[in-house]
Parts: sequence; structure tokens; C-alpha cells
Amino acid sequence: MDPISGTPVNEQAIGAVMVVGGGIAGMQASLDLADQGFKVYLVESKSAIGGHMAQLDKTFPTNDCAMCVISPKLVETGRHLNIEILTNADVLAVDGQAGNFSVRLRRRPRYIDPLKCVGCGDCEKVCPILLPDEFNEGMAPRRAVYRLYPQAIPAAYAIEKKGIAPCRDACPAGQRAQGYIALVREGRYADALRVIKEDNPFPGICGRICNHRCELACNRGLADEPLNIHALKRFVADWAMSQDREPLAAVPQTRPQRVAVIGAGPCGLTAAKDLVTLGYGVTVFEALPVAGGMLRVGVPEYRLPSAIVDREVQDILDLGVDLRLSTTVHDLDDLFVQGFEAVLIAVGAHEGKKLPIPGADLPEVLVNTQFLRDVRLAELGQAAAASREQVEGKQVLVLGGGNVAIDCARTAVRLGARSVALSCLESRAQMPAHPSEIEEAEAEGVQLYPARSFRRIRDEGGHVSGVECVDVRSMEFDADGQLKLETEPDTEHVIACDAVIFSIGQRVGLAFIPDDAGVGITRQQTIAVNPNTFAATRPGVFAAGDATTGTAFVIEAVAAGHKVSATIHRYLAGQPLELRFAPDLPVVKMAAADVQTRVHGGEIRLAPRVPMPMIPAGQRLGGFAEVECGYSEAQAQAEAARCLVCGVCAECLSCVYACGAKAINHDEVERTETIPVGAVILAPGYEPYQAELSEEFGFGRYPNVVTALQFERLLSASGPTAGHVRRPSDGARPHRIAFLQCVGSRDQTHDYCSAVCCMYAAKEAVMAKEHEPDTEVHIFMMDMRAFSKGYEDYYRRAQEKYGVRYHRSRISGLREEPGTHRLLVRWQAGAEAADGGRPTLVEEPFDLVVLSVGMEMSPAVRRLGRELGIELDPYGFCATVRFDPLQTSRPGIFAVGPFREPKDIPETVVDASGAAAQAAVLLASVRGSLARERAYPPEREVAGEPPRVGVFVCHCGSNIGGFLDVPAVTDYARDLPHVAHAEHMLYTCSQDSIVRITERVKELGLNRVVVASCTPRTHEPLFQDSIRAAGLNPYLFEMANIRNQCSWVHSRDWAAATAKAQELVRMAAARAAALEPLQTMPVNIERSALVIGGGPAGMTAALALAGQGFPVHLVEREAQLGGNLRNMFYTADDAADPQAFLQETVDRVRRDPLIHAHLDAELVDTAGFVGNFTSRLSDGTEIRHGVTLVATGGQEYRGDEYLYGADPRILTQQQFEAWLAGQPADRPWPESVVMIQCVGPAERYCGRICCAMAFKNALRLKALHPAAQVTILYRDIRVYGFGERLYTEARRQGVRLVRYDFDRKPSVQIANPDLRGRADAAVADADHQPAGLLVRAWDSVLGRELELRPDLLVLSTPLVPSAGARELGSKLKVPADADGFFLEAHVKLRPVDFASEGLFLAGAAHYPKLLEETIVQAQAAASRAATILARPALMAGGAVAVVEPSRCTGCLTCVRICPYGVPRIMTNITGVGNIAGAAHIEAAICQGCGICASECPARAIHVLHYRDDQMMATMGALLESGGVTWERPTPVASPPNSLATIN
Amino acid sequence: MGTPDARSQPPEQLGDHQLNILAFCCHYCAYAAADLAGSLRLQYPPSVRVVKLPCTGKLDVLLVLGALEHGADGVMVAGCLEGDCHYQNGNLNAKRRVGYVQALLTEIGLEPERVRMFNMSSAMGQRWAEAVTAMDGQIRALGPSPLRRPADDLDAERR
Repeated sequence: MDPISGTPVNEQAIGAVMVVGGGIAGMQASLDLADQGFKVYLVESKSAIGGHMAQLDKTFPTNDCAMCVISPKLVETGRHLNIEILTNADVLAVDGQAGNFSVRLRRRPRYIDPLKCVGCGDCEKVCPILLPDEFNEGMAPRRAVYRLYPQAIPAAYAIEKKGIAPCRDACPAGQRAQGYIALVREGRYADALRVIKEDNPFPGICGRICNHRCELACNRGLADEPLNIHALKRFVADWAMSQDREPLAAVPQTRPQRVAVIGAGPCGLTAAKDLVTLGYGVTVFEALPVAGGMLRVGVPEYRLPSAIVDREVQDILDLGVDLRLSTTVHDLDDLFVQGFEAVLIAVGAHEGKKLPIPGADLPEVLVNTQFLRDVRLAELGQAAAASREQVEGKQVLVLGGGNVAIDCARTAVRLGARSVALSCLESRAQMPAHPSEIEEAEAEGVQLYPARSFRRIRDEGGHVSGVECVDVRSMEFDADGQLKLETEPDTEHVIACDAVIFSIGQRVGLAFIPDDAGVGITRQQTIAVNPNTFAATRPGVFAAGDATTGTAFVIEAVAAGHKVSATIHRYLAGQPLELRFAPDLPVVKMAAADVQTRVHGGEIRLAPRVPMPMIPAGQRLGGFAEVECGYSEAQAQAEAARCLVCGVCAECLSCVYACGAKAINHDEVERTETIPVGAVILAPGYEPYQAELSEEFGFGRYPNVVTALQFERLLSASGPTAGHVRRPSDGARPHRIAFLQCVGSRDQTHDYCSAVCCMYAAKEAVMAKEHEPDTEVHIFMMDMRAFSKGYEDYYRRAQEKYGVRYHRSRISGLREEPGTHRLLVRWQAGAEAADGGRPTLVEEPFDLVVLSVGMEMSPAVRRLGRELGIELDPYGFCATVRFDPLQTSRPGIFAVGPFREPKDIPETVVDASGAAAQAAVLLASVRGSLARERAYPPEREVAGEPPRVGVFVCHCGSNIGGFLDVPAVTDYARDLPHVAHAEHMLYTCSQDSIVRITERVKELGLNRVVVASCTPRTHEPLFQDSIRAAGLNPYLFEMANIRNQCSWVHSRDWAAATAKAQELVRMAAARAAALEPLQTMPVNIERSALVIGGGPAGMTAALALAGQGFPVHLVEREAQLGGNLRNMFYTADDAADPQAFLQETVDRVRRDPLIHAHLDAELVDTAGFVGNFTSRLSDGTEIRHGVTLVATGGQEYRGDEYLYGADPRILTQQQFEAWLAGQPADRPWPESVVMIQCVGPAERYCGRICCAMAFKNALRLKALHPAAQVTILYRDIRVYGFGERLYTEARRQGVRLVRYDFDRKPSVQIANPDLRGRADAAVADADHQPAGLLVRAWDSVLGRELELRPDLLVLSTPLVPSAGARELGSKLKVPADADGFFLEAHVKLRPVDFASEGLFLAGAAHYPKLLEETIVQAQAAASRAATILARPALMAGGAVAVVEPSRCTGCLTCVRICPYGVPRIMTNITGVGNIAGAAHIEAAICQGCGICASECPARAIHVLHYRDDQMMATMGALLESGGVTWERPTPVASPPNSLATIN
Repeated sequence: MGTPDARSQPPEQLGDHQLNILAFCCHYCAYAAADLAGSLRLQYPPSVRVVKLPCTGKLDVLLVLGALEHGADGVMVAGCLEGDCHYQNGNLNAKRRVGYVQALLTEIGLEPERVRMFNMSSAMGQRWAEAVTAMDGQIRALGPSPLRRPADDLDAERR
């Protein structure tokens, strides 16, 4: 179905559009559509919109500050009622068809609720994770919780989380190691301790004896060595131990149930802590006289000092756990009788085992657990000192190869054994003990006898005398866990000893569980439990830890404790015990190759782990002093700095604790969402070429090679160097800067020109010179592509005013000067010199090299194209429909910006508006169906009431409250004149505060409101809305910016900041009292358009407007439609017929009932203002219209340069095209053609399309007559974007290209003057003339003059504005530039708007352009016009200027000074002294700048909301007199509804 | 209207020699630059109070003179960069008026340096901080305005 007809494509059309990409294009398309009554979903993959433009410092060719121009658009997009911004979102699929699509999106979590986040940044201040800031192109760090840039929209923060760090993943208890490591690096040890304790109540214990699987998993191991994580944990624990212990507050029991825990080991205590924290009553029963289980009685003191165990246990008991020591539970039933509703058995595995071999019962044969326990209890006087006597002076042999065996051996050493040996089944390599433990033991003199099987213990008179062994050849466990042992024959031998300690494992002591208790036991003598829930076979009984698994590590006991406590909680709460599946984040496992790449790129600097200090082996034997000494603070921080921050956010939860708005939720998960829309606009933008791929330039290796985008950040005042250009290697100011052009453009892997690099390099060079005028800047380029409006002039200024030096040389590679980090650039100099200087090779050093990287499509964009089923070219750019340049291969999906072809900002903005028009045409019938409007109660009349000001002071979390005394400011405000109420709030902008302000206004009858918080630029509309909701006029609101102007900038002076805040509030309150309600009034809109010019631009715009249902008057001076399109006969690729397109377009225009074409007609005059114009045409018609669109096009320049007009063989390109198109077969082809580029006015401005046209015609000739010789004399080849391919093809076809300079232009002579003026002779006779034309040109590359004798000379003359354009301009009062092209309102952001409201322009009237560019621009102009025509009404008034006629003398001062030409002297208004004629300012078009008011000599003009008395109230409240009064002007009705006076 | 007793409770921390400098800032550039200076936590002296204008083109000669007459020690005017005015040329009008005020001040024997024009873009938070610092230093060097009455006089007047 024809979308242009305005009929919806299907009955279920949806009045919503999805715009993909939140850069400048996405914002523009969204705003246009939302202003036209469509609901817009703006999808952005990053956490904020703004795109690349937000990163720029300045924009060319106006050197406007990029942020200044984009920031208002950001704010407007952010607060538009009908634009919903979806950040962290990716489009996965689009189903359906034009008019009715269903888009599936992936929403990646922000982890911060944008509706709750107030953007205070308190989270950022506490986030310990540092990573490179992509907004600053990696040249500054940022935190894991971040805002993309200070002005970002949405202003809400987001958290970047890549996944789970491998260290956390490897830990059974899920310790957030990366989190506490980052906190150690920052020196925040208390926070680090808190993070450890989130998952593990035993930092000191685990810091010493954990088997730290985290370290095995650590990605850093791929670079050099894993982090010493356990040492860092221990450091934190030691730091805590060094602080005085503050008893912890008990957690009140909030739940009725009580839980019994049997066993005060790590598992039982962890569970007890969790349960008591949840509010349960918890009693722990412990058979031993001390708590801590194996930690306390199994691990020797030298590895784990008791003091640490005691302290960490006490931290748990403090919470309110009831611990019963020396209390053995004999009967489970008893516990239930006592009222416990759940029982946890966590008794551990404390019973040692002996091998059933002869001699095992001898008195000197000991068992590990018993032995170690006795030693520990003996220290407490709780057990006999027998253990010491049993080994002191003895030859001790420990049987076993595990960690406990090593503990026994090293303990025996310390108890004074004569010698200690250890023997085990396993080979040395297979020993289960930790290798470092084995080494330590050996260092302390323990003799190892691995790989032995024990036959018997020799009994010599009832005493041990040795152990008979046999060597083991191999041992392994089969699938059933049965040991398979093979011994060496004939290897029997005896290890002499007089004491033996068995350490071959431990088992659970289960004597207290009677057979009839209902609790099942496994074959391995452990308690049978469901492994997922830890529930034993009896309801209410749970078991965990070693009691269910056999001996394991302490961290496993902790993990089990957490898990079982969670199950017990679910059991007691009556919930199902099994957990629901929750999707987990991926584990961030790095590949060795990636890590190596980061090492080579300098991102990771190799550094081995900081060694753990230890006491020498010689000093250890005397006692049980700890062997490892722990890190010092410096060592700990150095080690922590080695962390690679694998997961980015490590969930340390610091932000959660800091957030006063409770906006953070780390459990958010990715989800998919489906949104119905009628059309999709793709504006995914570009990705800068990855410069490291061009290895010859050393980007990534040489620190002083930067990309242009990085240089842009260096120039930016808000960039990493605060706008001072510094070289990265040493921060020194660069004195010599080189720009290398075409990096990632126009090369073997890119057959296109990126279209912007020439100009941005010129701009960056100019800015570098503006920063430091004595900087030398050299730009190395092939051609200077300054092809658009004002670009050529900019290029000239860069050279002439700023002294930027250009070299025509493509640099092939760089070298770094040894030692200085300077870069050596080698180029061919002299070749470009017009004086024919001899080319010489030059090599010079530069301090900084900037790579002008081109545009590419990212893999994500290519994926998007594939998933949406739209056609892309091999580079990933979007292929679009011929003569419908924004339409992708899938109807209803449009592509804009660089996604179509590399382009600059204005053209991107034009694309965006054009696509909005296309979507609007498609969905015109459902316009407004999904758009929302805010509903307000009627406004309350406040006139006559004395001011009652309410003041609301914001803490902004700690952003204001942390730096000045907010309550004092509030108290101060309360006593100010007119203030009826003052209060302070944590965040005035949070949703609840907004509601509260509304309520306060109503309750207390406030009639003015002051909010003292942040900046009105972002927050005023929000608060105005909240008082409007209370029935107050929004102009009765004022803000005091006590954050950006006070707390943040005087943060080191509490008193001064408080005093200044009080003054700012006083000023605001005084001003508020003087404010008056202002009205905006709807002005009717004439919903039709006047389009002037019937060429391709005018016709396209007319069709786009009519397609949306708006009547159009299309005015054309000539007798037929078509304009310049009538001169176009073929396309460069010969794939389409322009004349057929013209015919089709004309037919569509003729057929369209809403388009009224006025041929042979001109505009006579026009009057009125936006929405309400009246124009008269030369055919006598009078038209009323709401908008005017100027599309008067251009015409080919035909001056007498190069003897044009003197000989029929001298043609223009348009003439040549017509000739080529119409050349009959019987006429001979020219054998040689010379083309001269940049003719006539093109010496002043670039004709933009001439190069492409020359190639098109040259190639056409070559195709028709391959033998023809074509020579193009050019200055620069300025085919941009994909036009580059024409250039390449022309060279391939043998077109000769000769460069000339303006100071040595070609000359043309006619050798046979007789033929002058004989136009009818034409080319047909050319070959009968003996070489009549002589063209001389200086070849600057060869350094000599060429003489050419062509059959034809074709001049590339540019388009110039149409005749009559200037006259039209003065009728419409719109400006034109020096060359006569109409001047848009803003080059970058309003490229098709005139500064005067309601007037738009498109096509060659703006600047020469290609047909497809003209079509897009016309669509864009139609879109902009539709934003006015589609509005329900124009709102006029508000803060605008009004004239007090009784003071006006009609002096014309305002008329002359207004930049918008708004004031007019109206004869029907009576001025001062009752003389007729006074100024009138139309509220609908006044911009409110106030330039007129301040200039008016009679003070007859006032800007509402900035009246003199209001200004003086503000100032008077500050200044010492306090009582400054100002003559209050006679009140004027504001604003006057003055339409009657005009119409 | 002025508020006659607005000053009845001067903040206690304000010393006698606290300077009062008014800054007329345009909405689009200078005010935004001041906001950015805050975001960047750039520190500068607390003597400057911002009064927002839609455009420095709204800067009124009489307002500046009125401020000085009533005891402002200095007035700074901060607008967009020249050529970048959001209202095309408001800042150039402001520049002309600042020059005019300075000439008037010279004529009446008051230091023209008490009024000064600055230009900056909205991305120039640093420039704002520097401008305020410079203005504070400049006025501090000149000392409090001779048009300013001592606090004692004011108190006496109020009694």
C-alpha cells in the first residue's frame, strides 16, 4: 500500500515509534515525533543518551561548544511526556509489518531504579571499583557505579556489572573477594571487614587456614601470579584485631520460633548468626568447654591463635546467641520438648581413627584429633598435660598425609619431640596436604616417608619401637571410592619410632542419636540429608557441615551454615524448602590470550605477588608463635592494586548502604520485553575505527599517539585534563602536534571516505591553537574534504588565521624516538609547493600524534541489521531504497545518520527529522492515539493574597547536607519575610517529596514556593509541575541553587557555605514574593503549508506534508514542476532513471488532493507569524497557512570563466550530461575531454556535488566510448562518503587526474577563433576542427606545465541560488549567506529551520546537494513543519516581553535591535502622549531574551518573570540596604492576546 | 518589591568584610558552566551570588548601577562565548553595556574594574571557577565599595 497516500498500512496501526539509538539523531527523531503526537520509545544501549556528540568539545564549522548545543536537547528529550527512554536496552527482533510491529528488547539491569535515583552521587563516592572511563576514551578512571557524564540523561546512576569474579565463584561461601580487595586498595579496612563478614563470620580464621580456592581461580594467574587473597583477608582481620573490640548490639528476637544448634563449630555458629540476625531465638549446645569446634581444638595455635577464634566467636554471640558450653545433647526429642521448633545438627567430625593393624593399641599410639584437642585444652588447663609427655623427647612418627597429619607433626615438633617423621600411603605429589604446609613442615625438620603401606606397629615390651612398612607402587580410588593399592614386592622395612600418631581421617560422633530418633545415618556414618535442603529424615531436623559430609574445610562449613540457615528459615516460615531457580550472572573467566593482549597493550603491568613475611624456621620451634606475620598496610595495598577487577562491580554493597533513596537493587536480572510500535527508526550511530589495528601508527604501544576522539576529550573543559592539552606519556604540553588523516578511511580495508575527519581535524587543530597559540600543528592529508556550507571558509581560516600547516602526504608509519616518547613522522615535502619545489623526504619529531580515525559499524550494529532482516552492505552500513534514502529494505523501518553512510552532525540531524516525517506519514491516521497529556486541577487565583512562601531545603543525601548546615538554613528561611513555611528533606526531588510539596501547598495555603536544592536547568520543571498539581501557577516558583553554587564549590568551608546558602535562600524567597502568575494562551493554527519551489525538494516536502493530512500550496515560478531534476538523466551507477522518478513524483503531486500546485506563480507578499500566515501569490490567490517552506533550489552557474560561451565545445557538466544522454548513435564521440573543477564561485565555496558529477560524466563517457581520454583538472577531490568509490572507479578506468592550485589556474585558448559563437556547430563538428581548444595546466606533482588539446572542455560550475532567491528572502525576512544561500537557524541542530518561527528550508536553496540529500532534507523540513501543524494549539506567552504602550515613543529601538525581528510599530496602538503608533511584541514569536527591554530608552518594555521589581527584589535581599525599592511599572495585562490587532 | 526587613537577620557567620559580588549569568552558557563547576567540585571563593538572566542581552545598565549604588562591591556579567549567543547577539549587547557602565563609573570616580564581563561556554566549568576567583581577587584588591555603608550605620539606622 502506498504510504504517501496517508492511509494506514493496516487497520491496527499503532501510534508509537521506536527509535533505536540515543545519539543526536535518535534524540532529534524522538523530539520531532513526540511533538507531532506520537508516543516514542527511545532505546539506548548505554546507560544514558547523548551519543558521540556529547563527547565532543566543539563542533565545526561554528566552533560551538558541543555540550551547549546538545544539553538543551538532552533535557527536552528526558522530560518529554511522550518520550520513554529505555536505557541499557538492545533490540533483539522486530516482528510484524509496517504500521504494526512488535519489538522484542533485552533490558540489561542498571541495578539502580531510575525512578528512585535522584542522581546525588553518594553511591559513586563510596564505590571502590576503578575502571577506565569510556566516555573519556579511557584517559581517566571512573567507578563501577557511574553516570556516563555529568549532564547525562537520565540523570540516574547505573552500576556496571560484568559477572561474577572467578574468586567469588570458586569460594563455597561466595566471598566477594574482589570487593574487599578494592576496599583494601582504598585503605577502607572497616568496610573491607564488613564485606568479608557479609558472607563469612570468620575473616581472621579463613585468612589463615582456608585452602583459598579463590587464588587458584584468580585470572591474574594468567598474567603472572594470582593475588594473595587469603593474605589480604588476613590483613583486614588483623587490622580489626588491632582495634579495640566494641561489643556488638544484640539483635532483638522478632520471630517467635526458637532453633537449637548442636555444635559450636564454624557451621553451627554461621547458621546461628544468620538465624539470630533474622530474628529467631537461637541456642547453641556445645559439648566441649570452648566454642569454635575444630577451629579451636583441632588447629594448632601456631596456625590459628585462639584469640582470633575467641573474638570472632564473640562477635556472633554478641548478637544474642545463647551458647551452652560443656553441654552434651543426649536426646533430640528433649529439644523439641523444650520448645525448639527446629534443630540443626552440626557436630562436625571429631573422632579420630586408627588402622586395624597389630600394635595399634599400644600406649604410645595416639590419634590425631584427640592429640590436637588435648594440646589445645591443656593450654586452658582443661585437660591433662599428657599429650606433651607422650611426645616430648620421643621419636614421633605421624601416619597420614593430610593437613591434619602435618598439624600433628608440626605440633609434635613444638612439644619437644626428639625427631618427627611423617609417613603416608600417597606419593609426595599425591599428598592431600597443601604443598606449602608440607614445605613448612620439612623446613621445621619433619622427615617425610611418603608412599608407604603400614603392616604393623612393632611392639617391644609393650612399647612402640617402630612401624613396619612396605613401599607403595601405586594407589588410586576406584569409582566406588574403594582404595586400590599396589605395593612393591620385597620392600619391607621399618621406620624406627617410639610414638605413633594416626592421622588417617576423622568421623562423626553420632552416639547421641538413638536408633529410634528418626534421623537416618549413611553407610559412611554421616547424617543422611537432602543435599539441597540439608533436611534430615526427621521433619524439623537439619544437619550440615562435617557431620554430613565428613571432614572438609572451614569455608565449606561456613557455606553449609549459610545454606542450612536459609532452609531452616524457609521451614519455619512455612515455605517450600527447595529454592526457586534464580538466574545467575556469568562467571568472568578470562582467556590467557586476552590477558596477554592486555599485558602487551600496557593495560596490565606485570608484578608478582607481594610475598608474605614469615618468621624464620629456626625461630619457630621454641613455641607456638604464628609463622606467617601478615602484610603491612603498604604491602596489602600494593597487593590489592594487582586485582584485575574481573567482575567490575563486586557487590561489596557499599553503594547500597550509602544510598539514602534506597534505589539500589543488586538482584536485578536481565529480562526481555515486547513493545508494539508502528514504525522503527534505526539511529545506532558509528563506532570510531579501532586505531590499534593500524599497527604502523603504534596506537596502544606509543603513549603519545591518540585518536581524534581522545584529543577531543583532551580539549574539552570537562575532560580528563580539564581542557589542557597534555601528552599522555608525561603530562607535558605538546609543542608540535601532527594529525594523520584517513586512518581507517580510504584504504585497503575501507573503500569509503568517512566524510567528517578532514573537518574535525581542522577544528581540533584550530582549537589546539586557540588553547596554546604557539603550538605547531601539521595535518597530513590526501585531499581536504571541506565540501559543505562554510567548510571551505573554515579550512582557509585554519591556515590563514591560525597557521595550521597542511601537507599532501599520506603517512605510512611512525617511529618512537628512543627515550623521549616523541614520534618521528616522515613525509614527502615540497611536492605540494606551487613553485615546483623539489620533493624531498623530511623526518621530524612530534610531541603528540592524533589519528583521524574514520567511521565504522560496530559488530552490535551489524548484528542488529541481521536480526531485523534489513539489508546491509559488506561494511555493515544500511542499504536503503533508491530515491527514498531513509527507507531500509524492510518497509516501516528507517535508517538515519552514519548508519546509512558516514556523515556529519547536521546531515545526521536532517536524516533524523526526515525519518520522523516518513514515520509520521505511515502513522498519520493514528497520530495522538497513544500520546499523553498531563492533567492538572484548575489554577487557583492568588492575586490579592499576601505572599505566603513555602521553602523546601534539600539535603541531597550528603551532597548539600554534608557540606553545610541544612537545618540552620531551614530555620533561617522560616524567619524570612513572607515565608509561611520551611522544612528540609533528604531529597526534594524524590517522588515522595514531590507529592509532599504538592500537599504542603494545599494544606498550608502557600502561594509561592522556593526549593533550595540544585539547578533549575534540570529540576525546575519537576517542581513547577508539583506546584501546578496543587493548583498554583508554575511561574510562582523559584529555586535557590545551594548545591552546584554552594555546597559543592565551598565544600571545605562549612560556615561560609552555610552563610551563602542562607543568602541564596533569602534572595530566592524575596524574588518568589515578587513573582506573579503568567499565562500561556493557545493560539489557533492554520493547518496548511506554503511550499515555495516545485523542484525535487518542494515536491518531496509537499508530498510528505500532504501524506500526513496537511493541505499544501506548492508554488512554482516556472510552467512545470521538476526544477533541477529535469537536468538529470542518469545516475552514476546507471541503476535508476531520474527522469522516470521525476515523472512519478510529478504524477503523485498532481494526483494528491491535498496539494494545490500554483505554476507560473510567485510569492508577492506574506504577513503574520507562525501558525497564522497570510500570503498573496502573483496569480492573485490569497493563502492562509501555518508554515512556510522555502525550496527554491539553485541553478548551474554559467559565467565566462575559461572562455565559457565563446565556443560550443566548452560546456558545463549539466550540458555535458544532457549531451551524453541524448547523443545520437551517428554522431562521433570526442576522443579527449578535459574537465576543470572549481570554476567561478566554486573558487569561493565548495560546490559539493561537482566532483561526483565530473566522475559520473567521465565514467559515462568511458562506458559509451572506452577509447575516450578524460583529464580532470582539480584542486581537491571532494567526493565524500561512498562517493569515494566513484573516484576509485574513475582511476581504474584510466581517467587522468591533474591537480592545480588557485594561484596557478589552468588557462584555455581557442586556436581557431573563427568558430566563436557558432553554437549550432556543436560537438558534432568538433573532430573536423584541427584541435581547436588548448588547455594549459601546471601539474604540481610533476612540477611542469601540461598542454592539452581536448575535443571538449567541460567546466564544473557550481550551483548558485536561483534567480529571485534574494528577493524572496527579503519578502520573508529570512537571511542568506554571502553566496546567497539561505541561512538556517543553527548549522548543527536546526539545519532546516529558519531562525524565525514557522519558516523552513530545504534543497539547493540551502546549499548545493545531491538528489538524495535533497530528498532527505525536504522530508526533514516537512517533519519540522509538521511539529507545528500537528500541535493542538500553539502556546504563546509566558516569560516574554510586553510593551507598555503608554510609555512607548515609537522610536524603533526595539525594532532595530531584536535579533528575531519581532517588535513592530503598530499604528492602531496609542503610544505616549496619545500619539498613534507604538511598539507591539507578538507573544507567540517572542523568544524572551530581553535584549529589547534593556535597550528601550523609555523603559516601556518588560520581560515577564524578569521584571525590574522582581530583579531588584532578588538583589535587594542580598545588598546591605535591604530595602532597595524600584518604581513598579504600571501593570500590564500579561500577555496580551493581541491576535486581534494583527488579523 | 524589595523586602524592607530582609536583612534583619544577617547570617552570623558573615564577617564585616565579606564581599558582595553579584554575577549576572545567562541561562544557557554561564549558568550551565557554574552548574558544571559544581559537578566537578571546583572550589572557589564564596563571595559571588548568581542572578540568572535569560540572556545577558537582558542585562540592564540601571540594574548594574542600582546594585552598585546599594552596596554591591562588584558586578560580574557572564555570557556565552562571542558568536555563540543562544539569542544570536545578546552577549554583544551586554558587552557594550558593560563598557558603558565602566565609562560611567570612571566618570563618577568609582573604579571601573568593579564591573567586568566574562564569556564562557556551558562546558567551561573551569572557566567559571577561574572567573569567580579572578573577580573575587580583583574586588578584594579594590576593597569594599565606598558606596557601602558600614554595618554599624545600618544597625543604627534600623534601631
